[in-house]
Amino acid sequence: MSNNNVLISGLGVISAAGRDLSETLESFSTGRRNAGPVTLFETSLPYPVFEVRDLPEEFYPEHQRTAALALCAVNEALQDARLGEDLSALRVGVCMGTTVACQLNDLDFYTSYRESGAASMGPVDRYLKGNIAEFISQRYRLNGPALTVVNACSSGTDAIGIAMSWLKSGLCDIAVAGGADELNRVPLSGFGSLGIVSRDPCAPFDRDRKGLNLGEGAGVLVLEKADSAARRGISSGMRVLGYGSASDAYHLTAPKPDGAGLETSIEKALSDAGIAPDKIGFVNAHGTATHDNDAVEGKVLAKMFGPDIKILSTKGVTGHTLGAAGGIEAVFSAAALREGWIPASAGFENQDENIPIVPVRERTEIRGESALSTSLAFGGNNSALVFGRGRKT
Amino acid sequence: MNIISAGMVFTRGSGIGSFENALHEGWRIPGEVEYSKSNKSFAYQFDQTTIRDKAVLKKMRRADKLSKMAVAAASEALGNSGIDDIRGKNIGIITATALGAQVTTFSFLDDIIEYGESSVSPTTFSNSVHNAAASYISMVLGIRGPVMTVTRFFFSFQSALQLAQSWLNESRCEFILVGAVEQYGDVLAYIQDTKLNASPDGRILPFNLNPAYQVPGEGSVFFLVSNKDTDTALCNIEDVYLDTYEKESEKPDVNIIDTDGLLKDESVYAESLSPDIPTAAYSPVFGSMMSGSAFNCLAGALMLRNRMLYASPVQDNPHGLNIVDRTVSRDIELIRCIRYNCYENKAVICLRKKQ
Repeated sequence: MSNNNVLISGLGVISAAGRDLSETLESFSTGRRNAGPVTLFETSLPYPVFEVRDLPEEFYPEHQRTAALALCAVNEALQDARLGEDLSALRVGVCMGTTVACQLNDLDFYTSYRESGAASMGPVDRYLKGNIAEFISQRYRLNGPALTVVNACSSGTDAIGIAMSWLKSGLCDIAVAGGADELNRVPLSGFGSLGIVSRDPCAPFDRDRKGLNLGEGAGVLVLEKADSAARRGISSGMRVLGYGSASDAYHLTAPKPDGAGLETSIEKALSDAGIAPDKIGFVNAHGTATHDNDAVEGKVLAKMFGPDIKILSTKGVTGHTLGAAGGIEAVFSAAALREGWIPASAGFENQDENIPIVPVRERTEIRGESALSTSLAFGGNNSALVFGRGRKT
Repeated sequence: MNIISAGMVFTRGSGIGSFENALHEGWRIPGEVEYSKSNKSFAYQFDQTTIRDKAVLKKMRRADKLSKMAVAAASEALGNSGIDDIRGKNIGIITATALGAQVTTFSFLDDIIEYGESSVSPTTFSNSVHNAAASYISMVLGIRGPVMTVTRFFFSFQSALQLAQSWLNESRCEFILVGAVEQYGDVLAYIQDTKLNASPDGRILPFNLNPAYQVPGEGSVFFLVSNKDTDTALCNIEDVYLDTYEKESEKPDVNIIDTDGLLKDESVYAESLSPDIPTAAYSPVFGSMMSGSAFNCLAGALMLRNRMLYASPVQDNPHGLNIVDRTVSRDIELIRCIRYNCYENKAVICLRKKQ
């Protein structure tokens, strides 16, 4: 099966930029940035974060925030794809990336265990029910593969790549794929300890960038074989055309300075899509606003696409949502292709002389038929997705 | 796809040879460990000093035990491939883990509690990330293909195998190191003993079914798989059935069941057994782990390669199942490795003798 037959039949997203796609596009239009202090838990850390406000109660099962975020996005994507609540009659897989939901890092549980040698099993039960893919699979009674990808910050991108593989190998006809992650005290402390969190709203690719801000959210695509969509009477011009992934084999937390792994992942994604670099209309970059990430990514993108390629980072309006980032940014990339414009790269003001590329400073019309979204992760993993728009099939 | 080679570490040492010895020798009582202040339980723990390849360890001094176990197993699998220029090939890595770096995560929580959230260790945090083990494999072995870590509790390993097959069929990789790793920890022991039945005498009773008894284990198994074949390949993975109905196929020579006490009641396994097909279970030699299926899969692969039927290490058999009770030479054609999860979904890995 050709990648050209992998349609995007639904989009769903929730982040600090909006509780659905239309709110998000509104935020993009106005340049609104909803960064603020942490309200979800007590912390002494002074970092601004991008929290999701007013998470709908109906999507908040058993205090599992990551699952709630995922359900919001999945629900919107399924509605967009005109799929109902009960999908048991179809062959639907689910592949979701996350970082927080895969760990039993409940501080209250652990403190109790440390102090008394005993603790309530409530947090354990929530954790065991909270494997994101399995949770969604059970909730919607899905009849296809279910897998949670825990590949750090490229998890969402990799989950979409895996879903493509499932569709191509015939394991399912439809796949719900993306990522979800909640804001959590443990990674906030961890990223803080690495010295890569900014005390100001983040400024991806900017000369004066001081690091990332953490965020939370979920982004989900409904991917579907063209023949399945045709059977359901669905048409879509949006496609995932290619996926590539490669490792730096270099360092546990730092990207390889020459960006070789990122370059290879992009080459593989373009090759998988069967398109040349000059067909890429814009790049939705990983752009975390850390010194190292943006320097490496900027160099590689300029080398591969030329210094005039239109790029942006949407982390200026969502924060870094970790395992959700690839899913959220995939939704943004597909939506931008569909809408025909990309927003200003929030937070960017001054060019860094060491980065031979300048993100877009204002809402920008896009002409190309394809877009690239990149993800770089702890552990040296690099992943890329190519999206396309064309005639509806 | 074919299992070209394998590597492993577990409670009785490092290397495939250690595992073959254990399959021959049968059950041994596991060690006793203390947890949650005054409780004691049995556990199958791995002794890191048995890792023979010190050069590998030298490259990962700051890594935690989970990552060291994974790298040791993956390194052995690559080293056993019998392919001269294997490191120059297009290799991917897929690591399955149900619980990941939970011990290091709790160590990071210790940091937060003891020193405050602004004085935690960045090294501990880096090692607590779920994909750290796979990343160390990539760094230590110099593998630059796609590197993935996946989790789905009981079906983590089966999901990883399924993905490996898809990648190979797409020609995304020529070879894939696919495997599983789990680590023992005192919090895990406390949780298991609270929620499940702790074995009173250190024995997992895989044919008891209900009640089922667990003994926590740890270790790692990695396979080098490919659609290519080699003279020394162990066997063929014919199919992985997961989230779908198992295709009717010829009768297997042996069923290997993943009963290990991680379901409180394992009666559901009886649905997949037949009185005319012998059943084996090897969890009593490596312990209870949600991705323990990888160890049973390795036992099956070795049975096919060695033409040997290994006796089940603990043979209490209250239901009169047809179990493999003796180690004998046998030319085996087809093995089904069966796992159920807490939703009573079934996963089956079909292993076939190399043609």
